[in-house]
Amino acid sequence: MTHSLHREGNLDSLERDYVLFIYPARGFNYKGSAPKVRRLVELLYQVGPVNMIPTSLRRNMYSGVKPEEILESITVDGTRVYSVFNDREKLKKALIALKEADVGISIMVSGIIDRVRDISAELGIDPHMVNLSLGIHGRTDRLPPADIREFTTMCGHGVVSPHLVKDMIRRVKTGKVSEWDGSVLLAEPCTCGIYNPCRSAELLREKAPLYTIDRW
Amino acid sequence: MMIHEEICVGCGRCHPYCPTAAIRYSGLKSAIDQDICYECSTCLRAAHCPVDAIAESPNVFDYPRALRRYFSDPSSTHAATGIQGRGTEESKTNDVTRRCGPKQIGVAIEIGRPTLGMSLLDIQKITRAIARAGVHKIEPHNPIHSMIANEATGDLKPEMLGERVLSAIIEIQVERDQLRGILRTLKEVAKEVDSVFCIDAFTVVEPGLKIPEEVLEIIRAEGLTWRPNAKINMGLGRAWE
Repeated sequence: MTHSLHREGNLDSLERDYVLFIYPARGFNYKGSAPKVRRLVELLYQVGPVNMIPTSLRRNMYSGVKPEEILESITVDGTRVYSVFNDREKLKKALIALKEADVGISIMVSGIIDRVRDISAELGIDPHMVNLSLGIHGRTDRLPPADIREFTTMCGHGVVSPHLVKDMIRRVKTGKVSEWDGSVLLAEPCTCGIYNPCRSAELLREKAPLYTIDRW
Repeated sequence: MMIHEEICVGCGRCHPYCPTAAIRYSGLKSAIDQDICYECSTCLRAAHCPVDAIAESPNVFDYPRALRRYFSDPSSTHAATGIQGRGTEESKTNDVTRRCGPKQIGVAIEIGRPTLGMSLLDIQKITRAIARAGVHKIEPHNPIHSMIANEATGDLKPEMLGERVLSAIIEIQVERDQLRGILRTLKEVAKEVDSVFCIDAFTVVEPGLKIPEEVLEIIRAEGLTWRPNAKINMGLGRAWE
């Protein structure tokens, strides 16, 4: 589970953040799924995800891995794929391609419900189930600030550290890295490959001026 | 995880990578607090130590400490389930499996998320509360299921209680008329734990991605709201095995 339904941020920012999963079902369509999943990944590549990882190769697009390596790793039945798109039109193109391919593997999309509803209606897709986020409960006073969580919740397993986000804001602010390079560094710990570096770069650009830093 | 003191040059590069701030200076060298470390291996994988001083702890796979690795490192395969990840396929393949029917609600409690992690003692508070609310069946393919010592009480295996994990998921399935009681139970137990959890509710939708009003009404009645973004099963799967 990648926690993708709990991604935080304002609606404008979430408009550029859609996660798409390809997910074979154990005992139902596992057997023979590998070539079908590979075909779907080929289609996704043509649309241009901003991040992607197959479970057969836990390295995201910014770890130096080539697209051919990602495709060639998908040889085991049951391989799942996690990907991110940074705009609605790309998501729509991806869904058109996946629907036309009609391979019968489950597809999940995490994003703004109203947008996914509109796209589904346009494409004649009838979604089956929704997984709603009912928020964070308990010692919320112990959480990092909301603006830092906009970065960290892009990694569902919580391995993009809030301390690393603050460090990256400091490095951007002092000119040591660009917003994009900083975002690629932030994406690296996320082994589920759904950290959106494009949105992260936007956030770094937006947040850096708001922070005071120690120049040392 | 551990840092070889004789190799470490004390540059501090690895410190911000630790989600739980377990890496600190001990004198002029960096060291990892073993009580706090979740064994997520993020420091080893992503911090790129310039002198390769970061290494696996020799006891990382000793039971029960191994639970930290299985639940906290997303790339590790869980010994109890044989799959990566802390949960199951749940809503992601329901269009194929039909595990959750139209009148049922799946509830997932995402423990320790975001970022804080949680002790097994606190997780037990949640499993006990769920059991007291009358739900004794945690999803059998979920790794938490294998940690339950007593389904009737929700007690976890006692030898595990000193451990802590970065994230875990408790998955249950209830009838619609039980949802309100479970949500109330979770709101109450949230006051007892020293960390956080997220609540997910998944339901089969009506045509046009219409969320059943009855479900939304139950959520509202408990004073909860839902985020504008959600995870949506697009209904494109089918079984062939």
